[in-house]
Amino acid sequence: MFLSFIRIIKFSLQDIGRNIWLSLVTIIIMVLALFTVNMLLVVKVIGGTAVDAIKEKIDVNLFIKSNAVEDEILALKAKVSRLEEVRDVVYVSKVEALENFKRNHADNPEILESLRELGANPMTPSLVIRPNSLDEFDNLINKINAFDDNIIESRNFSNYKVMLNKINTITEKVANAGLLLSGIFIFITILVVYNSVRVAIYTHRREIVIMRLVGASRWFIQMPYLLSGVVYTIFGIAIIMGLFYPFLTLLQPYLETFFVGYNVNLINYFYSQAHIIFGLQFVGVAIVNIIASQLAVRKYSRV
Amino acid sequence: MIKYYNVSKIYSKNIKALDRINIHIKPGEFVSLVGQSGTGKTTFVKTLIGEEKADQGKIVVGGWDITNIGQREIPVLRRQIGVIFQDFKLLPKKTLFENVAFAMQVCGGHPRKIKKIVPHVMKIVGLNNKMNRYPQEISGGEQQRAAIARALVHRPKILLADEPTGNLDSLNAHEIIELLLRINKFGTTVLLVTHNREIVNRLRRRVITIDNGRVVIDQEVGKYML
Repeated sequence: MFLSFIRIIKFSLQDIGRNIWLSLVTIIIMVLALFTVNMLLVVKVIGGTAVDAIKEKIDVNLFIKSNAVEDEILALKAKVSRLEEVRDVVYVSKVEALENFKRNHADNPEILESLRELGANPMTPSLVIRPNSLDEFDNLINKINAFDDNIIESRNFSNYKVMLNKINTITEKVANAGLLLSGIFIFITILVVYNSVRVAIYTHRREIVIMRLVGASRWFIQMPYLLSGVVYTIFGIAIIMGLFYPFLTLLQPYLETFFVGYNVNLINYFYSQAHIIFGLQFVGVAIVNIIASQLAVRKYSRV
Repeated sequence: MIKYYNVSKIYSKNIKALDRINIHIKPGEFVSLVGQSGTGKTTFVKTLIGEEKADQGKIVVGGWDITNIGQREIPVLRRQIGVIFQDFKLLPKKTLFENVAFAMQVCGGHPRKIKKIVPHVMKIVGLNNKMNRYPQEISGGEQQRAAIARALVHRPKILLADEPTGNLDSLNAHEIIELLLRINKFGTTVLLVTHNREIVNRLRRRVITIDNGRVVIDQEVGKYML
């Protein structure tokens, strides 16, 4: 049994070697399919990071009148904190608001000069409210709108939902396009693997005739061609791993520039999840290749 | 050894390749199966090695009813029947040794056994000094000898020779027949399928003549009658 298995591997490698150009084309098509699948994953990770980044920034600002007493503000803060939709509430005093403003406009001397000319602190205190989740955002706004406290000067509800929806839509569209592209490449892979195995069988038709004649089992005759599908997969996965990590290394600096202050490290992601990502891809592509090989073997190995 | 009971093979309404054939071949016999082209000889060979199934009747080989043989059992049957053909069916990129060894390799033969048996059968067919030659480097007669060596590696009970001299000149053809007779002397049943009148007449062995899918003559010491 072990001997037969070794011989099957040997015959399979011989098949691949004797049709080297066809084997190369098969592997290249498979690499293209795998590259598309992995790019899909990259888009998903980047999209997820972008959405998380925006979610982190979602807050509601309640601006308090300048003359409000601190106790009243803290009472309002406590009242808001008790809402079930609220994760936390931060009280930003007039002084802190001014400091934040100065820090944010440190590189704009005209604004800072205007502030100095005013002579007094023009900022108002505020409560920065962060929701538990985006789904509860609308409820939270309704409840805050319902507050009729005379120390509230104004309310600021930026429409983060629209932005998030846009990102989700873009990510979804890219993912769908990628999915379609992956589907096309996988279909081409099936055709190419099918054709490679068909040609391999044609090249070896004389051997197959002799094998059948001298009493080789059907399993022994067909296995090398099925194994070829697995060998193509091994080469395909190895090449995609060899190509994809350098590609991610090139992409990483651009992502870091784009997502300043956020942890978006694709290389780490692909390293830590390598066994799952490439393991699943190996299993998936191997199944596709074995099915394609099986179809070709069934049809053409009856020489 | 080979028993055909009322075996028929019908390809279409009007084409009966085999028509209620009854043949009994005893172990160790040397039998010539003769007939003109298209009379059913090839179909007989195909039914014997499990390539075609009979539509009617019963086929028994070495006590084994192979009439409805399953796909998985065909390799076992073929290891018991050595087959040689007119076109030798040797692999041009393998040496004679490799060609013969190939038959054992694909059936799971151990390398040690292969190293022992292949030179032995090569010696039987008289090619022990040409084992490293390629098929194109030797004569047609020698190529057929190599094919016989390959057919013998599984120590078959039956050697089926389908037109083995069809591509050979008379001298080489005579040598091949001599070799088949020698193998028959060792106890192997030999079934020679041919339409070579000269060879059949010179053999003076049992001759079964097929015409239109039927056994028309079966003589213990026969001649080519058609």
